[in-house]
Amino acid sequence: MIVAGIDGGSRTIKAALFDTSAGEVIGTALRDQGIDQNRLAEELLDQTLARCGVPRADVTAVLATGYARHLMNFAGRKVTEITCQARGVSHLCPGARSVIEIGGQDSKLVRLEVNGTVDDFAMNDRCAAGTGRFLEMMAGRLETSLAGLDRLVRQSREPAVISSMCVVFAETEITGLLSCGVAPAEIVVGVERAVAERVVTMAGRRLIDPVVFTGGVALIPGMREALERALERSVMLCPMAQHSGAIGAALIAAEQ
Amino acid sequence: MISPFPPQCIGVADWDLLRERLLGLGLVEPWYGGPLGRHVEQGDSRLLRLSFDNSPAALRLWNFLLSEEERLFAARAQGYRIVGTMKDLGIVPLLAYALPKALAFYPDGAWWIPCVMELSAGLLRFADEIGLDESFCPVRAMVGAFLGEGHFPRPDLVTCSVGATCDDFSAIAQRLNGFGVPILWWEMPHVRAPDPGEEEARLPSGQTVPAALVRQVEAEFARIARHVEEVCGEALTGERLAAAIERANGIRAQLEELRSAVFFAPRAPLPALEVLIAEMLAIHYCSDRDETEAVLADLLAETRRRVASGLGYGDGFEVRVFWVNPVADLTAMNLLESCGGRLCGTDFMFCHALDPIPVDRPPLTALALMALSDPLAGTAAERARRVAAGARRFRAEAVLVSRIPGASHCAYEGEFIAERLRSDLGIPVAEIEVPPLSDSVRPILRTRIEAVLEAARKRRSGR
Repeated sequence: MIVAGIDGGSRTIKAALFDTSAGEVIGTALRDQGIDQNRLAEELLDQTLARCGVPRADVTAVLATGYARHLMNFAGRKVTEITCQARGVSHLCPGARSVIEIGGQDSKLVRLEVNGTVDDFAMNDRCAAGTGRFLEMMAGRLETSLAGLDRLVRQSREPAVISSMCVVFAETEITGLLSCGVAPAEIVVGVERAVAERVVTMAGRRLIDPVVFTGGVALIPGMREALERALERSVMLCPMAQHSGAIGAALIAAEQ
Repeated sequence: MISPFPPQCIGVADWDLLRERLLGLGLVEPWYGGPLGRHVEQGDSRLLRLSFDNSPAALRLWNFLLSEEERLFAARAQGYRIVGTMKDLGIVPLLAYALPKALAFYPDGAWWIPCVMELSAGLLRFADEIGLDESFCPVRAMVGAFLGEGHFPRPDLVTCSVGATCDDFSAIAQRLNGFGVPILWWEMPHVRAPDPGEEEARLPSGQTVPAALVRQVEAEFARIARHVEEVCGEALTGERLAAAIERANGIRAQLEELRSAVFFAPRAPLPALEVLIAEMLAIHYCSDRDETEAVLADLLAETRRRVASGLGYGDGFEVRVFWVNPVADLTAMNLLESCGGRLCGTDFMFCHALDPIPVDRPPLTALALMALSDPLAGTAAERARRVAAGARRFRAEAVLVSRIPGASHCAYEGEFIAERLRSDLGIPVAEIEVPPLSDSVRPILRTRIEAVLEAARKRRSGR
């Protein structure tokens, strides 16, 4: 039996297929988000199925999550990304007790029970500070891409201090730093640390070890280290970090 | 009139059609009755975004709420003395209602005007212009409402508490005072535990406080009473006060019965939104005590009938949610049911206005005891204790703590309440922030509410 999870995020749509007989994820895929979110998500699902050689008729359940979940008419059920991230991370990192997920538009902390269910959660969803959007803005301002940050992060010796937590003001601050001759590498790590500090503020005293970092921003070089520094504890990177929500959605679909 | 139709949430346009059918079936309305659509035409455009219960009792409730401005102007024309009781949740109004041709209203409630009118009243813009920006509670709308005199007549007396009350409200009221509106200030002390050896008094909420606090507040009420007498030209005798307390207790008893019936029924007989509006009548009776009793009697009759018939919203398997604090945008209350929850208990910050007032004490002493039971005048710990007790009583499976941006009374205590509930009851808790117009954050609110309901369902299935 094949089930599918679709995670309609703010920047990208993710799909995951789960084979309940084999008990494993058989395929994942990702594409940019757009205007016709239902169509884009369904196309992504079809492409993923085609790549895995699974006929659509073999899919017994589709579960949608993410902020666009309610737009996905082809999904039989909708569940929040909080519940799906909890389920996905528990599967990918058994024993995890805290999940930090930073996506394009929000960041969230989900504290898990021993059995992997949601115990508590907190979200930063009112401003771009502490989200992938903040990092995207910075990358654009430094004329690089998120993938291009890797080289810069490795060059950093004395990270800049970014004090503005508003993206617009931070951009102004970055312009000021550049005009003062501060190297882009130092600005990159400075911004990553600012994002991490924002997550610490949101997490408050809620964290329990082990802490797992997931979401698209987890893939950005230097972010895990910035989080570890800010949280003063080790942080594990979730495998398939960009897909953990979609995988969680597929697993919940399988449990129905 | 009892509803001939099963419970259903409907919009304004459907209500106006339904009202026509009900009139044909014999519906008789009070003077403030009429189609809900007329309030939209008068500017309350936000009503178009709400879903309402379809009972005649609910129609009466909404028409009663939305006609308060007309009622206040009519009262002034009829020679009633009007007392504006600011930063008061259901105590000082009794002093006004104790006299035959006086009534109290709640100018703080003007903060709903810009919300219901989707800002078209210009009251928040006026507040912005005088420096009371969005970092303040939406009650800042009150200043423009006072000065413009378009929403309510200038009261004959305005009282306002200071001290252990909202900081933001105090600042706003002082600004109003600066515009030349005379205010009778009275002081509300911080409610604390007695020091060792200090004479004690027990509040109706169960808390023990220094007896000196009770005497202090009682003296303040005696001072307010003298001003009310002066304005109204009548004596506030002990008999009149006792009668006012008896009437207040009657209304509180109606609300207690309504709450118990709604919260304990297998299927919710009333939606969350109507429960919020009904409870708010306890504060100042929406400027008409007689009608408050009648409106609540209708709601109770409808609720009893629905419970007896097994009628209600949902299928009875909705997650039972205890709601803390009122919302700035009423659409948030509708969201609870659309996310799969049902209201099973409330603490809208004026829970002390729902408790019976002691009748075995001198009236002003009894009122002082009730004022000191105001959860906002005490510690966050005491409030959390009371919320936890309510959530336990009503068998809540989840708790939503709502926050109003800029409101000092609910900015910081949410986390504290949440921690207490998690440790005492082990149920999921979520905080939501509901601004006056929440359309842009609706997906965020939905996600938070749905997430807490999902966590509650998971716990239910795990038991």
